[in-house]
Amino acid sequence: MLSTELSMPAAIAEKTKIDVKNLNFYYGQSKALKDITLSLRERSVTAFIGPSGCGKSTLLRVFNRIYELYPKQSAEGQVLLDGKNILDRTQDLNLLRTKIGMVFQKPTPFPMSIYENIAFGVRLYEKIGKAEMDVRVEQALKRAALWSEVKDKLNASGLSLSGGQQQRLCIARTVAVKPEVILLDEPASALDPLSTAKIEELIDELQADYTIVIVTHNMQQAARVSKQTAFMYLGELVEFDSTEKIFTSPREKRTQDYITGRFG
Amino acid sequence: MMTLCVVAAGIGLAWLALILGALLYKGLAGLSLSVFTGMTPPPGEAGGLLNAIFGSVVMTVIAVIVGTPIGVLAGTYMAEYGRFSKLTTVVRFINDILLSAPSIVIGLFVYELMVRPMGHFSALAGAVALAILVIPVVVRTTEDMLNLVPNALREAGTAIGAPRWVVIKSVAYRAALSGIVTGILLAIARISGETAPLLFTALNNQFWSSNLNAPMASLPVTIFQFALSPYEEWQQLAWTGALVITLTVLALSIVARSLTGRRENG
Repeated sequence: MLSTELSMPAAIAEKTKIDVKNLNFYYGQSKALKDITLSLRERSVTAFIGPSGCGKSTLLRVFNRIYELYPKQSAEGQVLLDGKNILDRTQDLNLLRTKIGMVFQKPTPFPMSIYENIAFGVRLYEKIGKAEMDVRVEQALKRAALWSEVKDKLNASGLSLSGGQQQRLCIARTVAVKPEVILLDEPASALDPLSTAKIEELIDELQADYTIVIVTHNMQQAARVSKQTAFMYLGELVEFDSTEKIFTSPREKRTQDYITGRFG
Repeated sequence: MMTLCVVAAGIGLAWLALILGALLYKGLAGLSLSVFTGMTPPPGEAGGLLNAIFGSVVMTVIAVIVGTPIGVLAGTYMAEYGRFSKLTTVVRFINDILLSAPSIVIGLFVYELMVRPMGHFSALAGAVALAILVIPVVVRTTEDMLNLVPNALREAGTAIGAPRWVVIKSVAYRAALSGIVTGILLAIARISGETAPLLFTALNNQFWSSNLNAPMASLPVTIFQFALSPYEEWQQLAWTGALVITLTVLALSIVARSLTGRRENG
């Protein structure tokens, strides 16, 4: 119903990275996403906000088709990555996931050393020597602002790190495979304020090279880190605009009610 | 209430202590190097249990080599590929029945399956019977341990672009490794004391034999035979053999426990 008004503001002409067109998503029979249409800008941070169960995580999980791990979940419509529909049956899923990385709510280091946590993903699709791999691991850890804390214990288990460090390790691991898009599913909701601040700082730096989509419960966080914000409610995209606009003068009453804390 | 519970626990422990005490008292008396170097003797002569120990080790090793891959792969199917499939529910149900099936039934089954067609008892048939006992234990623990691996970890592996089998091999197995190994050790502990399935399959052998196509001695069957005999030397060897098995199972259990403990702590 709103789809015509929801296209990107024309004022800033930037390249579109992901173009979602009339996307519907189903958990079995129940419809979780209703006719979503929106465009995500390249090298920018887009936030999805909304109350629990509004479909923001579901939408994020469509972008790398991770939902396909579970039966009875299906998507229809179009999700264009650089113009190519990733929902197409011929899409190679593993290749798609190397292009679109994901970081989860709870830190999920693999049960292996810090070094291996990063080398693991790189090794899947690239044959590189030890020296080159060392460089890649170092770069990734530096990119995730973790290098100085772990450089002397690369062989220690990834599980031995603190929660905040583990989450940065997960970001490093994602960055190491050189994706184009990074999906963040409430990446700081299980972390303390200090670690959260570090993650946010990191997101800010990463947008120079990556298209970032972040799902968050925390509206201040959305306001701090994102350029554009989408407000979702009950599986619908209610409003999508620049973050400033959403938080200062939202067009929709539901958006205003939510950001002012009247519900959700 | 608490008193009753303590008394009940005490009674249970007391029997265990009595059994272990008797075993140590009677078994240690006959424990010497010759037990591990000599063959099972004819009545009235000195000897050891070497051929029986060897037979037990051989059949256990074959059973584990045959049973473990089948068990681990079946458990992997149930926990990973077939987690949402009806087949898994059916397999789990059947596996639970197999898990609690009396081992003598397994022995009779292998007797019909192998011993009768082949026309003679054999170590191979014994190993197969033991393998059938190994499988359900390993299936169960593998499935349980893989189910304990958080889905978030699988999603993380998948999200980085790893194919399904790599996620299972490098992430899920690694996370569940100590649990799966514990399951295998428990299976070994279980079969190392089994007598009934061997009576119908490997039978026994008074002499050294490494021929898999012939009857082979084993510790439990030898204990069974010697303990029932009227000869004092044989009875002594039976006690000592029982002690050897008990200590082996105890050692395996301790290793299994310490592996599980490490998993919980780390």
